[in-house]
Amino acid sequence: MSRFYLHQQIANGLIEDPDGTEAVDLKAAKHEAVLAARQLLANAILAGIAPLGTAFHIADETGQVLLKVPFRDALPPQFIKSD
Amino acid sequence: MPHPTQSFVRNGLLSVIDAAGYAAIGPHLEPVDLPKGTVLIEAGEPFTHAHFLNSGIGSIIISTADSQRVEAGIFGREGLSGFGCLLGADRGPQTTMIQVEGEGYRVSIEALRDACQQSASLRETLLRYVHVFISQTSYTSLSNVSQSVEGRLARWLLMCHDRVTGDDIALTHEFLSIMLAVQRPSVTTALHMIEGYGFIKARRSNITIVDRDALIDFADGMYGTPEAEYRRLIGPFG
Repeated sequence: MSRFYLHQQIANGLIEDPDGTEAVDLKAAKHEAVLAARQLLANAILAGIAPLGTAFHIADETGQVLLKVPFRDALPPQFIKSD
Repeated sequence: MPHPTQSFVRNGLLSVIDAAGYAAIGPHLEPVDLPKGTVLIEAGEPFTHAHFLNSGIGSIIISTADSQRVEAGIFGREGLSGFGCLLGADRGPQTTMIQVEGEGYRVSIEALRDACQQSASLRETLLRYVHVFISQTSYTSLSNVSQSVEGRLARWLLMCHDRVTGDDIALTHEFLSIMLAVQRPSVTTALHMIEGYGFIKARRSNITIVDRDALIDFADGMYGTPEAEYRRLIGPFG
């Protein structure tokens, strides 16, 4: 198990994850980020407001960003407008 | 062993019972420290003791088979753990644990039942508390289905604020995520938003209440009724 931090990218900076989360590997941490992004998007939709965040930056204990997970990656494909 | 005199206890239930009621329960009270993480009742295990808190916050948690947890209710110096024993139960499906450290008194289930047989004041006060607790869990259900995460967080912060001394509440995002039945990033985001409104200051493992009245307004009627029930039926609270 390793500790991963899910910092959230917002318009003017980052909302830092103070505590982090235990996960077996980066893939498991990404799965958690995807589920969390869905909940954040759902919360915003239910409240009728724009979601604050746009992506998770998954970092390790040294602060190194290992992976960025855009919130759009958490949406079902049919929700995303093709460019 | 000397036991605490009634004027010394800070637990809201033990403070309001009549002298004869206190005489029935007082000799059975054992002082206990309650560090964070102390499990008072394990799900499915027989009740052995009830705990009257003088400080700190206890949490009653219900879990799914795969360990998803949600908090059903909280109590502090206004309440007690293990009241199922007063209702004829020997065990229950919930886990009761300490989330904010404190201290209080424990009493064996047998001694508590005997004392309740002897004293109508004690018995009726504790049963009124059960009513107030059910009011709290009812509002939690209503809040969970009708409020935004931020609104629910505001309500829970007020409930914790009532049970601590001062304006600082030592709560991790992990515990808040259990309280609100959401993932941790939803808590972090909701704290960020409420802090942005100027109602709180959020630091790692600590939240400071800055504007309580604004939080009450923000909780939009979901905070206050169980607390008023406690004051109406039992005594001072918060």
